[in-house]
Amino acid sequence: MARTSLTVADLVAWTQRFRDLMVEHRAALTELDSAIGDADHGSNMARGMQSAVEKLEQTAPETVGAWGKSVGMTLVSSVGGASGPLYGTFFLRFGASGGDATELDAAALGAALRAGLEGVLARGKAEPGDKTMIDALGPALDAFDAAVDQGLEAAIAAARDAAAAGRDATEPLQARKGRASYLGERSIGHVDPGATSTAYLFDALATATGSAA
Amino acid sequence: MIGIVVVSHSAALAEAALGLALEMVHGERPRIALAAGTPDGGFGTDAARVAEAIVEVAGDDGVLVLMDLGSAVMSAELAVELLDEPAPRVELSSAPFVEGLVAAVVTAAGGGSLDAVRAEAEGASAAKREHLGDDGDDAAPAPTAAPGTDGDVVTAEVVIVNPVGLHARPAAELAGLLGRLDADVRLANASSGAGPVPGASVLGIISLGVQQGETLRITATGAQARDAVDAVLSAARAGFGELGDGDTESG
Repeated sequence: MARTSLTVADLVAWTQRFRDLMVEHRAALTELDSAIGDADHGSNMARGMQSAVEKLEQTAPETVGAWGKSVGMTLVSSVGGASGPLYGTFFLRFGASGGDATELDAAALGAALRAGLEGVLARGKAEPGDKTMIDALGPALDAFDAAVDQGLEAAIAAARDAAAAGRDATEPLQARKGRASYLGERSIGHVDPGATSTAYLFDALATATGSAA
Repeated sequence: MIGIVVVSHSAALAEAALGLALEMVHGERPRIALAAGTPDGGFGTDAARVAEAIVEVAGDDGVLVLMDLGSAVMSAELAVELLDEPAPRVELSSAPFVEGLVAAVVTAAGGGSLDAVRAEAEGASAAKREHLGDDGDDAAPAPTAAPGTDGDVVTAEVVIVNPVGLHARPAAELAGLLGRLDADVRLANASSGAGPVPGASVLGIISLGVQQGETLRITATGAQARDAVDAVLSAARAGFGELGDGDTESG
């Protein structure tokens, strides 16, 4: 039977799966970042997510809000690069949206993801097409909302597919944010590392919740 | 005195920039905290550390935050959100990192308000632009030459005796002195023709480039115009506290 809600334990499993993907693809992410950035995205995200998982193992969160705050604050303090405040804000706002809830149904998950996206937009001031994580995050949430009537698992699977497509679509774009923007046209032809890690974030959500269809 | 927080990707960069700025301060220093680099010595910024630094230096007069680039800016913005209520008054400055920090530290040490320190920091690249003849539209507005018209105009001239002229430290002392008086004071370099600039602007005073033996012209209006002129004359003759006992006759 298809699941209709996520528990805090599912959110922790999502965090762990995202950590696994960041560790597994650390070198590849850094390789992407070496083309247009400062070559630290993979190592930064792997380190940050490892710290986030360790924090969750030390102090198990009981609510969605506590989970988001734990993961967000740990990323803020341990990532170092721009992904720290950006992913940190994503998880902090996600958690604030969930608040004292211990479960999220499809609509509540959509609202929490949307709150996270809006936090990233406010923090990074990036727009769609700037060749950033927004180019994966925005389409993922649009696809989630469009599929939410089909149920939680279908919406997550749709978000995962849209995030991956959004990541691929960053390749021909010219960066307009961050240090990659200094490269101008030389940033064209490389997939954005931030959009790539965001695609893994939704991949992790899909596998951790058994929404892989 | 306001507090200053320095946010950089690099601990070495923050320490070096602060060291450069503190060269200019010989009296009481503002409270300054660095939030720079990652704990393991790498490049990066940490919003939680920035928030701690703000709390460390916060007083009644507020805190100015200077940042280098990219995530330093985002971490500083996030830090402001992370502050517990009641949060201190915090301003994030768009000032250039090195010039802005020098201007901020000097102006803060001179007793400048948060707004005054921020304005000085953000106008700090004007001297470089002027020197290079790069008068972009975003150049700092030129100080108005005419003093206010409320009351009599008091003018005086004094020869600067400091061996290296009106550099940052005496400029900070002078600006701090004038900032505390109810008078509109303009200063000019009568020897070179530079100025006039507002007397409360440290960078304005520095931009006059007054060397030892050159003449500073003071023009003041307002309720305490006479006091202001007298204070400048007195401080200038005393070498702004920079002269040793044996040197006072050298100028």
